[in-house]
Amino acid sequence: MFRKINALIKKDFLIESSYKLAFIMNIFSVCASLLIYFFINRLFGNKINAYLEEFGVNYFSYVLLSMAFFSYIGVGIGSFSSRIRLEQLQGTLESLFLTPTKTETIILSMAIWNIVFATLDVLIYFLFGVFLFKINFTNINFLSAFTTLILTIISFSSLGIFSASFVLIYKRGNPTAWLISTLEGVVGGVYFPINVLPGYLQMVAHCLPVTYAIRAIELAVYQNYSVYQLKNELLFLLIFSIILLPLSLKTFKKAIRTACRQGSLTQY
Amino acid sequence: MNNPDIIQVRNLGKSFPPMLTIQDLLKLLMNKKKPVKALEDINFQLTAGKILGILGPNGAGKTTLLKCLCNLLIPDQGTILIDQYPADKSSFEIKSLIGFVDNEERSFYWRLSGMQNLEFFAALYGLSPRQTTLRIQELLAVFDINYIHKRFDSYSSGMKRKLSLLRAIIHNPKILLIDELSKSLDFNTSLSLYNFIKQLSLNGTTIILTSHNIPEAENLCDYFMFIDQGKQSALGNLNDLRKQFNMLDASLTDIYTTVIKNV
Repeated sequence: MFRKINALIKKDFLIESSYKLAFIMNIFSVCASLLIYFFINRLFGNKINAYLEEFGVNYFSYVLLSMAFFSYIGVGIGSFSSRIRLEQLQGTLESLFLTPTKTETIILSMAIWNIVFATLDVLIYFLFGVFLFKINFTNINFLSAFTTLILTIISFSSLGIFSASFVLIYKRGNPTAWLISTLEGVVGGVYFPINVLPGYLQMVAHCLPVTYAIRAIELAVYQNYSVYQLKNELLFLLIFSIILLPLSLKTFKKAIRTACRQGSLTQY
Repeated sequence: MNNPDIIQVRNLGKSFPPMLTIQDLLKLLMNKKKPVKALEDINFQLTAGKILGILGPNGAGKTTLLKCLCNLLIPDQGTILIDQYPADKSSFEIKSLIGFVDNEERSFYWRLSGMQNLEFFAALYGLSPRQTTLRIQELLAVFDINYIHKRFDSYSSGMKRKLSLLRAIIHNPKILLIDELSKSLDFNTSLSLYNFIKQLSLNGTTIILTSHNIPEAENLCDYFMFIDQGKQSALGNLNDLRKQFNMLDASLTDIYTTVIKNV
């Protein structure tokens, strides 16, 4: 299994590194988006900062961390389906399923690659944050941040696997990814704290794992919160992971079987 | 004759959901739109080391049959036993036993070289890096390939086809399925492919191939199956077919054109 995961990750790395310009453009796009929020902070910072008291940082520091962390969430949700879609379009999905490789191996390799890829993004954010914008990360509680990260990756990878199941059957028009990315963008607390929102939207936000993930990471990194202090957020993410991971794997296997019945593995 | 059957297929049937327009959807809801039958009542068995040629016109169901055998398609009815493993319950074991040369150019990673593609698929078939290196060297020597380090997207159709064959046999499968045998290959490559297939069969590999080139199949195969509109219309060696259709001195081409016309 290790050899297969290694081969799948190496293949993804070789393909990704063959698009050199894309990597450079990614660095520029991270820098550009940070500059946008840097100037928003300069313009409205004083007004927004009142909502950020519990995190003890200004708006720019808040949004830099949530966007960096969002790389794990976004990659978790979107990349399983986009990778399956890419394999469909390339025609290689059938070749993969022709080999004696378990679905779990394919999913795990995708998850590892997603984490590696997201970590590269996060590193870019942090390098810009520390060296260009002089943000202070010294107050971080590593154990809490790491626990939050692991539970977030599992939760959002499960949603990503659901999303990939839709792509296997319906190819386009993936409602899971659309719903999640729309909801998390608007009410998940990524771009602004949720206490800015009206009461009814805050209720929606409290049903979303992204809200708990962002809150936990902000408090762990900037306020040195311990695992115990973050127990509510982490418990929610844990329950979410325990329920969704096996369910999503089962759904994905069922989707493969359906595609094999319909003969639609190579259709796009 | 003492060899056990490595492949047994009984009453195999496969339908596909119809491609739907809005009107079709209404018909389907009213139970007026029937699924498209791709295979119906296919039966055969094959002893290890033999070569079966599946012959039929375009859209006859040849590729569908091959894909059912290698578990890329799940049949609606019937049973498939591969080396005693039931196909519906032992997908993992069966995939290790089979190599499949499909007729689809889009089944490789075009941004990778031929070598990187082969190494990747060899790993998925469970070969160690050392086994992979040795096996690739062995195969490159047989097929006289010197472009393996170039990127796949620079290959011609024939070069892609050769790589597809190499991928299918990289794990030394017991059964080799080839869809459209000599498609895109030049004359010399086709000849070396025929020799290679005969050698594989002598070494015990069971081969099922589809072809539109009937003389090529006659030269190469031990048994033949004619298939049209998803139905099996003939099965046997050349003498069996001659007797079955009462054409005692006929070539395979004569029998094929008579039978397929009559279906």
